[in-house]
Formats: sequence, C-alpha cells, structure tokens
Amino acid sequence: MDTVTATPTPAADPFDPADPADPAGASVIAVRGLTKRYGDTQAVAGIDFDVRKGEVFGLLGPNGAGKTTTVEILEGLRTPDDGHVRVLGVDVAKQPDALKPRIGVSLQTAALYPKLTVTEVIDLFRSFYSASRSTAELIDALELGERRHAQTSVLSGGQRQRLAVALALVNDPELVFLDEPTTGLDPAARRSLWDLVLGMKAQGRTVLLTTHYMEEAEILCDRLAIMDHGRILEMGTVDELVSKRFQERAVRFDATTAVTVPELQALPAVRSVKDEGEMLVYTTDVGATIGALLALAESRDVELGNLAIRRATLEDVFLDLTGRALRD
Amino acid sequence: MQALIALTIANIKSYLRDRAALFWTLAFPLIFIFMFGFIFQGGGSGGSLTIAWADADGSPASTQLRDAFAGQETIELRETTEDDALALMRAGEVDTVIVVPAGYGETVAAGGSGSGSGPATIRVYTDPSRQALAGTVYQAVGAVLGVVNLGGQAPLVVPDPQTIATENLNFISYFVPSMLGLSVMQVGLFAAIPLVADREKLILKRLAATPLRRWQLVGSNVLMRLLIASTQAVIIVAVGALVFDVQISGSIAFTAVFVVLGSLAFLALGYVVASFARTEDAANGMTSVIQFPMMFLSGTFFPIDQMPDALQTVARAIPLTYLSDALRQVMVGGAPFAPLWLCAAVLSVWLIGGYAIASMKFRWQ
Repeated sequence: MDTVTATPTPAADPFDPADPADPAGASVIAVRGLTKRYGDTQAVAGIDFDVRKGEVFGLLGPNGAGKTTTVEILEGLRTPDDGHVRVLGVDVAKQPDALKPRIGVSLQTAALYPKLTVTEVIDLFRSFYSASRSTAELIDALELGERRHAQTSVLSGGQRQRLAVALALVNDPELVFLDEPTTGLDPAARRSLWDLVLGMKAQGRTVLLTTHYMEEAEILCDRLAIMDHGRILEMGTVDELVSKRFQERAVRFDATTAVTVPELQALPAVRSVKDEGEMLVYTTDVGATIGALLALAESRDVELGNLAIRRATLEDVFLDLTGRALRD
Repeated sequence: MQALIALTIANIKSYLRDRAALFWTLAFPLIFIFMFGFIFQGGGSGGSLTIAWADADGSPASTQLRDAFAGQETIELRETTEDDALALMRAGEVDTVIVVPAGYGETVAAGGSGSGSGPATIRVYTDPSRQALAGTVYQAVGAVLGVVNLGGQAPLVVPDPQTIATENLNFISYFVPSMLGLSVMQVGLFAAIPLVADREKLILKRLAATPLRRWQLVGSNVLMRLLIASTQAVIIVAVGALVFDVQISGSIAFTAVFVVLGSLAFLALGYVVASFARTEDAANGMTSVIQFPMMFLSGTFFPIDQMPDALQTVARAIPLTYLSDALRQVMVGGAPFAPLWLCAAVLSVWLIGGYAIASMKFRWQ
C-alpha cells in the first residue's frame, strides 16, 4: 500500500510554508494533488484545496462527483492513490490514529446500532474517546430529549441525522466532517440541521460538509468548491462564484414553444439562454431585455408563465460550468 | 479497556434485543432438549430393571437366588453368560449385570453351617456415569439379598460392586452434551450475521473513524460470544441435571475448556463466513448451509457409527463431531469417538485455519 505513493524527491514538500495557499501551514485541511481511482473509475482526479480554521467549507456537486471519496480520505478511512493530505497538521496517510481523536464524523448514511437507544449509542461512542462531552448535554443540544430511550431503528430520518451529528460532536472536535447531512430530510428537519451547523461554526469549529443542495451550500458555506467528475471546477465564496461568472441577472419563465432560444438570444443585452424546463435568459440590462421580451410575447399572443427576475445563483454557476442542472 | 467493555456491553444488549438471534442460540437447543427429553424419558430407568444374569455356579443355591430376583415384580431377568451379559450392558440393552461366581453354592452352604470363611459374593456391575440407575440397582439387589440373608448374624451373600463403562448412555445423557456442542456451534457461527449487518449498515466504517482499534472491536466480539456460550452452557447443563436428571460425572473444568475452545473455533468459522458474505442475507444463507449438515452429521441426533460409510467420512471431518464427542466424554463419560487430545487438536486446527483465512479475507468496509 505504502509503495504506491512514493515521492520521487524528498525535498519536494507539498506543504511548503511559502505556499501562498497555505501560509505557514495555517490551514485546518490542506489537500494537494489528491487522486483516487476505483478500477476504471477516476473518483478523484487530482484536486487541491484548503480549509481555514473556523469556516464552513462545502464540497458541492452531484452524486458521483467524488465528494464522499474526498471526505473519507480526509477522515483517514481510505488511502489515496496519489497526492498529499494534511488535516489538523497531521499527515493522514501516515498517522490516521493521531487524527481520529480530534475529528468528528457523520457519514453519508447515519450508521447507528439499530437495537441500542439514543442514550446508549452516545454513551458507547463516548467510551471511545479519552475526553468527551456529557450525554445529557449532547442530547439537549441536539433536541433528542424526548427520544432518549428510543431504539435508533424507530427514529425518524431527521432524528437519526441529529443523532449522527451528536455522535460527531461527542469528543468536542475541532473539525467536523458532515457528508450529505440533510439528504432525504424534510424541509423542517433540514432547517433544524442547518441551525446545528451554524451553531458549530459559532462555537469556533471548522466544518467540512458535502451537499448537492444549492440552497444548503448558499446558506451554510463560507466558501465552497464545486466538484464534478472528480475535479474541482471552481472554488470561492458564493458571491465570488456567482459574480465571477454572472455580472448579469437572469430572467426566467416557464418554457414555452411560442418563443425559441435563438429568438431570445437575439434580444437586447442578452448574454446567454438556457432551456432547462424553465427558460433562463441571462442579461446585463434587465430593463432592455424584459421590455423586448414582453413585446415578443405579445406579438405571439402568449403569456409568459411565472415570469421573474433574479440574481444568478449557484445553480446557474453549476449549469454554466457543467452544462447540466444539479438538481434531481 | 473502557471502550472494549462498553462495546461488549453494547453488543450484548443488541443481541438480547434481537429475538431471532436469541431464539437460535438460546431457545432452540432448550426446545430440543425438552422435546427429546420428554419423548425418551421412559427409556432405561423408570421403575423396572432389566438384569442380565450370568450363573457360573449352576448350584441349587444359585438357582434359588435367581428365583428370588426373578420373583420381584420390577425386575426382568435375561440369563446368559458373563461375557455376553457384559456386552449387552455395554450396548445399553440391560441396566445391570449380576454374575454368580463358581463356588457360590459351596460358600453359601459353608456359611449356613457356620464353618465358612465369610459371606458369598455376587458381582454387580453398574455404570458410574449413571448414578441414579446404579442407586436403583443396589436398592433392588439389597432388597432381594435382605430376604435371602434373613437377618442372620452375618450376611450369607453380599454384593461385590463392579463398574463398567457403557457405550450407549441413556438418550438424554447422550443428548444434553450434544446439544451443548450444537449451541456452542451456533453461538460462534452466528457471530457472522450481526458482523456483516454492522458492515452493511456502515457501523464498522463509522467505528473506523473513531480512535477505537480493530483489536478492541474483534476482542469485544469474541468476549461477547464467549459470555453467551458460557451462559448457555450453564443453562443447558442445569436443565439437563435438574429436569432430566442427567448425571454430570465428569470434570467441570474440562467442560469449560471445551466450551471455550469450541466457541473460538466456531467463531473463527463465523468470521470466515463474514469474510465472504457481502450482505446480511448472504451471511444468513451461508450460516444455514454450514449449520444444518453439521447438526445432522456430527452425531448430535444419531451416533456416527450408525451412519452410512460415506456420511461417516464427512462426520469425521467436521468440527462439531469432535466438540460434541469431547463434551460427551468429559461431561457424562460417553464412549470416545476420538481421544480428547485429538478432539482438541481438530478444534485448534479449525480455529487457527479459520482466523488465518478471516484475517486475510475480511473486509472492514
């Protein structure tokens, strides 16, 4: 296993303190040239990123983008084929055991002993760490009080996720990994989990989360990396990502056969048009475009359904980067 | 250590709350014991005694003694030679053998006239592993001789106690250690199912993200299974002894050694199953495929020497044969199929082989 990642020249320290991306090794997570392949599938194709102390960093991308593989390598659960990973100053490939007491982990699927109660599972995980928070405190913090004596197999999806997060916080970790923490949850449960993540940030913890929900990434993440096919396509704050690509705004309406994409592209100030079930017209001058659009619609005697004007979102960024929608 | 204990307790709680697992490992052997115990309870003891009678004297006195025994309502006599009588007893066909030695008549006559050197003796054979039956035998012999001796100054005839190991234990005595072997097998083999389920549910992966070490995980699993096997051994032995009057004549320490050795060997087999089964369902299937042939070919329900030759060959290869055989030997003094050292060696080979395969093939995630 170790022979795979032999570094040809020992002098080439990928974590050079002079590295502008990681001055003096200040990053909580530093990833350089990370590569992982499963058979013919290139799960992670050479990515670099840094996570700074105290921020919520998101890996955003569709299923199969390589997010989970990346996170599991950072957690010490998988060995990379190539590249370097340093988490909390620890070289994960060399000393995974030095890292584990200091991180909290919530896997993509809440992995819980089905026959144990909430209290019992928390107590069990506490026994794995030399220092831990009290069970009562965790149960209160995660609002599991009413279910403390329920076996985990009868918990709702939201309760299971909250318990999984409680287990990630048992050792009072500096760094928390949350892999798809809200997948499959109803909106209320999702909001309650978002509050938990924002709470972690307020407590000064660093959080790395993966998601394929734009809204979640926009609300929670200080910075994020958009991943697809094992690569990072773009990285930055939500504002940076959006404004870098879209100075313009989007005019949207329900797709109709009455107006065609080439016709829309010919309208004044239009930069681009996307037909994704809804019609998206990106424009640098909303007034000019919408006036012409309405005139066009009137000439065809159609009404544009759900006409709206909005700022570009991460969804638009993703669409622009990959040519397809993230949702579904 | 704290983590090891906590994980063991968590495993035991999970186990106790899993009714299917409880049924197979705890209730199932007991149901079998009760079922077969009640069906076969009448056999052997239960009031009447069958005595193989070997008269090497042939005198009027010996005939008179025979008639005294035959006159008892609860005694059935089968007259034969001493060798044949002992063979019958070894085969479990009769409860005891009484041999009237040559010269009995003369000794009795001499004793009756006051000129003898002592009482005449008859040899009474019992199996020490069947204490209850031996008691019944001596009670009956004592009752008959009491009449013969007629309360004289010195007894004319006294029993000369002899012991013999019988091959066929009464059924329940044979069955209880066999069921203990069977349940030890299940405790070990069935460890595969929750382990595969934990892997499938990503619990093993989640544990890998904590400081818990793999040796602690395996250790707690072994510890928990040993505790279950020991609990079960106590229950089965207690039910056998208290409900069905099975005499545990052998060594408790040796019994414990084989329960532990057997548990570890079958646990190794369980880990092999867990190494090849990808899903809980697959583990269930593989466990059944292994357990049922073992159950029926290991001499648990029928002695191995009554099986067809081809099946005997299979029986000789499977570990449960040796575990149950060893348990019968050390608990109730059953006739050996293989010497104890060989039983221990075979189980050790399965144990080492199983752990070697599992340690190479087991996937944690």
